[in-house]
Amino acid sequence: MRASKLNTVLVLAKRELRSTIYGVGIYLAILVSLIISSVILQNHIKAVGRDQILITASPLAYPLFIATAVCAIYLALSSVTSIAREKDMQTLEALFYGPVDHAAYVLSKYIKGVLSYLFIVVFLAVYFVVASVISNLGLSLKFLGVIFLCFFLSSCVITFGIFISTLAESVRTSVLLFIGIVGGLIAIQIMHGMLIKMEEPSLAGSFFYLENILSIINAGVKWASPFFYVNKGMEAVSLGRVGMYLLSGGVSVIYSAVALLLSVLVLKRKGVRKSTGE
Amino acid sequence: MIKTVNLGKKYGDFWAVRDLDLNVREGEIYGFLGPNGAGKTTTILMTLAILRPTKGEIYLLGNQIQGSRVGMRRRIGVVSEKQFLYPEMTMWEYLDFFGELYGMRNRKERIEELSARVELIDVLDRRLGAFSRGMQQKVGFVRALLHEPDLLILDEPVSGLDPLGIRQVRSLIEEENRRGKTVFVSSHLLSEIEKLCHRVGIMNNGRLLAEDRMDNLVRRLTEEIELDLEFPNEEPQAADALGGLDFVRGTSIEGRFLTVKMKTDRDYRGDVVAALISRGHVPVGIQMRSMSLEEAFMTITKENIPLLTRADA
Repeated sequence: MRASKLNTVLVLAKRELRSTIYGVGIYLAILVSLIISSVILQNHIKAVGRDQILITASPLAYPLFIATAVCAIYLALSSVTSIAREKDMQTLEALFYGPVDHAAYVLSKYIKGVLSYLFIVVFLAVYFVVASVISNLGLSLKFLGVIFLCFFLSSCVITFGIFISTLAESVRTSVLLFIGIVGGLIAIQIMHGMLIKMEEPSLAGSFFYLENILSIINAGVKWASPFFYVNKGMEAVSLGRVGMYLLSGGVSVIYSAVALLLSVLVLKRKGVRKSTGE
Repeated sequence: MIKTVNLGKKYGDFWAVRDLDLNVREGEIYGFLGPNGAGKTTTILMTLAILRPTKGEIYLLGNQIQGSRVGMRRRIGVVSEKQFLYPEMTMWEYLDFFGELYGMRNRKERIEELSARVELIDVLDRRLGAFSRGMQQKVGFVRALLHEPDLLILDEPVSGLDPLGIRQVRSLIEEENRRGKTVFVSSHLLSEIEKLCHRVGIMNNGRLLAEDRMDNLVRRLTEEIELDLEFPNEEPQAADALGGLDFVRGTSIEGRFLTVKMKTDRDYRGDVVAALISRGHVPVGIQMRSMSLEEAFMTITKENIPLLTRADA
């Protein structure tokens, strides 16, 4: 990458990050995630008090994962609205009068998202270290593994959000599109999960076909869902399988790269100018 | 500086711009005129790579344009009809952000210098969301000039400005042009274009109908031109002095004023005055009544008169 282009990416990302840090959204997301984590931790402590034992390899890893997942939803929504908002306000067009191109712009959004994640991680890490000291629930290597895994989670979610944002002309459309796509992916997974849990003899003919169709659809669309890779990663963490964990990280990187590339192509194709309907 | 060859943009079945051969020369102020929907903004957006042309070629600053043209945009300053600023930023933050995007080291001095020129230096720390339309337009100018571009592309630049603001912006454009910058300006304000521009291009229905110097355009549009001459006293025989001149189409006299209708193929003012003086009629005032840009514009666009030949382009 040329120095001037790198400068463009960094300046754009800096402006975005500043606006995120000076806003309230990120702190609300951190607060909500910490409240949820606190509830889970409190349940852990109650269980220890009640049963004198808590059977888990890393008691802080799961609450951390949940906290990060909540923040990831914030990052996803922030990414989903980012490009669409600039297009809607037509500030995107003004940027393209200057030394900004599609790739630099999309990359800056991604970098801003990743840096926002790192900002969140600092808060979460401090909280969990303090929580560990107070509650006497130990930090393990798995905790670090989850922190690192969550980086991949956020990367996938951010790029997914950016991609959706390039498809939409307005903030409202982009949010609806995001909810629609994510809702659709989750619905397919849930329905498929429910059907495969049913015993075969109990399935009527039409349900059997439905299960087969959903299996095929699920096998295809799960690769498009950013959450699929993270589930794989969490599975690897809980099973302690390093190879599976690394594979999950590697595939997440590929997913992010493909989503970014598609975002650049869509942005180029659709243009940076707000459609006026003429 | 800007050259387009056979440029076209089609939306569905509608050609917004077609067969456009535009030629903006280095160092000039070029006025780009046309009624609403003529294709001016579409043309500008294509030269900036915001819109992709359906056909044709674009040459900017001597290079054929392909791809995203970021390197080229570093040498161009753009002011559009609306500025689309970030309302939450102060004027200083906004300009500093763009200065940083351009990789400028001396941006503090440059921001202060330009803000002073448009009389906005006292509001640098104010949020852009609180700026009036005219102030926003001036911020757009400062942004466009910040990185000292070689070429200024201005789309309706005085839109939203009060008369004082228009004068400030006009003098800014003239000053930048004197410093060697080429200016390509599209505007509805024909009087502004007339005051500013060296050459004009007139578009209608997506086609470039005329591209020339103002005086040439008028000469090509009109078959005759009127010359008003003033004498110190009533001189009813003055018209007789012009009787034998073949370029004179007619005369009329009213009190101390003589009106002469002449052919437009060249400037005959000297011939008229010489003929009058040789017969002892010495005029004390002389004024040529030529077509204004507005009249020329109306004539060309209303009647869709094509004045352009391949040689012009």
